[in-house]
Amino acid sequence: MLTKKQKGINWILTAVLLVLSLFFLFPVVWMLANSFKPDAAITADMNTVAAFIPPAPGGGFFHNYLSILTNTNFLRYMANTLFYAAILILCGIVVNGLAGYALAKIHFPFRERWVLLILLLQIVPMETILTIHFLMIAKVGLLNTVAGYILPMIVNPFNIFLFRQVFLNLPDDVYEAAQLDYCSPLKYFFTMVLPMSKTVVATVSVFTFLNVWNDYLWPSLVFTSSNLLTAQIGLNSITSNENTTMGQTLAVITMVTIPVIIIYSLFSKQIVEGVTSTGSKEG
Amino acid sequence: MSFIEFKNICKKYENAERNSVTDFNLTIEEKEFIAFVGPSGCGKSTTLRMVAGFEEITSGDLYIDGKRVNDVAPRDRGIAMVFQNYALYPHMTVEKNIGYGLRNMKVPEAEVQKKVDWAIRILGLEEFRTRKPKNLSGGQRQRVALGRAIVKNQKLFLMDEPLSNLDAKLRVSMRNEISKLHRELGTTTIYVTHDQVEAMTMADRIVIMKDGVVQQAGAPMELYEHPVNKFVAGFIGSPQMNFYPVTIDGREMRFRDGSKVRLPEEVTKRLEGRGGELIMGIRGEDIRLDEDSLERYHQDRQKAVVENAEVMGNENNLYFTFGGCLSVARVSKYEVSRIGDEITFAFLPEKMHFFDKNTEEAI
Repeated sequence: MLTKKQKGINWILTAVLLVLSLFFLFPVVWMLANSFKPDAAITADMNTVAAFIPPAPGGGFFHNYLSILTNTNFLRYMANTLFYAAILILCGIVVNGLAGYALAKIHFPFRERWVLLILLLQIVPMETILTIHFLMIAKVGLLNTVAGYILPMIVNPFNIFLFRQVFLNLPDDVYEAAQLDYCSPLKYFFTMVLPMSKTVVATVSVFTFLNVWNDYLWPSLVFTSSNLLTAQIGLNSITSNENTTMGQTLAVITMVTIPVIIIYSLFSKQIVEGVTSTGSKEG
Repeated sequence: MSFIEFKNICKKYENAERNSVTDFNLTIEEKEFIAFVGPSGCGKSTTLRMVAGFEEITSGDLYIDGKRVNDVAPRDRGIAMVFQNYALYPHMTVEKNIGYGLRNMKVPEAEVQKKVDWAIRILGLEEFRTRKPKNLSGGQRQRVALGRAIVKNQKLFLMDEPLSNLDAKLRVSMRNEISKLHRELGTTTIYVTHDQVEAMTMADRIVIMKDGVVQQAGAPMELYEHPVNKFVAGFIGSPQMNFYPVTIDGREMRFRDGSKVRLPEEVTKRLEGRGGELIMGIRGEDIRLDEDSLERYHQDRQKAVVENAEVMGNENNLYFTFGGCLSVARVSKYEVSRIGDEITFAFLPEKMHFFDKNTEEAI
């Protein structure tokens, strides 16, 4: 039971957090509201409270969105990104999950050193790794291919670590029982380990999705064909086009932002649980 | 040939200073119910896990049904196991847990269903069949674990302290259920427990271990009546056997506090003329307070003051100091004594056990 004083402190904290959240929310609200307006209205509403209020729904309400979706390849870029994310989530769970499982449950020489080595990989700047990836992909002739984009992205040291930390807590006797139930190690991984570790699977899936969705540098290096581009590159090419209006720019930014917000809101519980259960956070 | 044969089995973990199991030799016949008992760290679970194939055997040979299984994978040993923490598959329902092994064995679905239904019925799990383990009580979970073991028709059941997570009442009822199952199925069973009551009430034979070494193997009453050493004598039986350092001089037995008991001829004969300092052990129920016994041993009546009394309902445990040692007498509920009461008692000489003072081996 909370005391009167504790209740008071809670109220104050809630109020402070509410005010703070407004600071973060106001650009999003501004973007969303203006993405439905023609440029003239955006300019007219600037510096007034109306800038945060969307126009009344009417004939041209979705004009900016429709013009982006019909006049550019942005829908395709979004579909591409979702496709890449789906493949990377599946492959990432299998590859990083198996690696994490081996590092947690299989006894082999220098296991702990391997874990340390994988953790150390986190220190290496992404740009350095990307250069090497680029050279390798170019050498094997996979530039401008889906495989060239996806293959180097599958292995993720942080996800391996995340999986390992969760798998460490899985009871060994369940594996032993499964062995006596004629379950092969691989079958055990897919039918027991992953279902028993739903939280970390969800966490890794969300992180992978966010990584792919927000990634700009790697796809811009690998892809040259406009058919394969991702949403972030599409966003850049659309917004840097001088014919794109302010309203269209805001509409396309909204379209890129909304999925991230939805995914994060849906899975925030799993993300927090997944990260806190491993005692780590993404670096 | 015996169904299971342990030949000089040793287990030493990497970097361990000493063996966890040393020179374990035992034969188990088909349909036997064997209990491995001993204190924590005595090697009983390690031995069971070596039978299951979860621990490598450092040296020695293990035969199951005439076949050397040292290098055989657990799944190919023809065993089913019930684990201490149940080891149920948390994301599967009761019936899926029970049928999982059968489905992996590629048993036709109709037969899987038949066997699962049979197990669910005999274990009384009908109303829980679609529940997941988290929605079951400890006893129900243990029954599911048993169900998973029995449906596969394996030739050997291994049970690793299966009742230790249950409360006392449930333990007793599960004990009966396991015994009943064993009688019905007749499957050879190795049962590991630290609870000697479980071992005594369920097993055909008990193997008592200490520090990785078998101390004694035999029928429950054989161990109770004829322990080979002080450890076995003390481990089996509740309350624990009373031990007194005594000096034997001819037919006279002298306690540390000067009390004396005259030993009958059959006891001195049993000692084969050994005298001097020994350890005398006697069970609580063989310290008698009843009129008949006091009459019979009127020359050797002893006196003590009750320091604590445990009222068990059907009987009472009276604690007192005698011969310089804390002692316990197990008396009938009709022989009521309260703390501070002076009691008169007699030892039943024919029930005395004698142990060498140095080796603690029974004489």
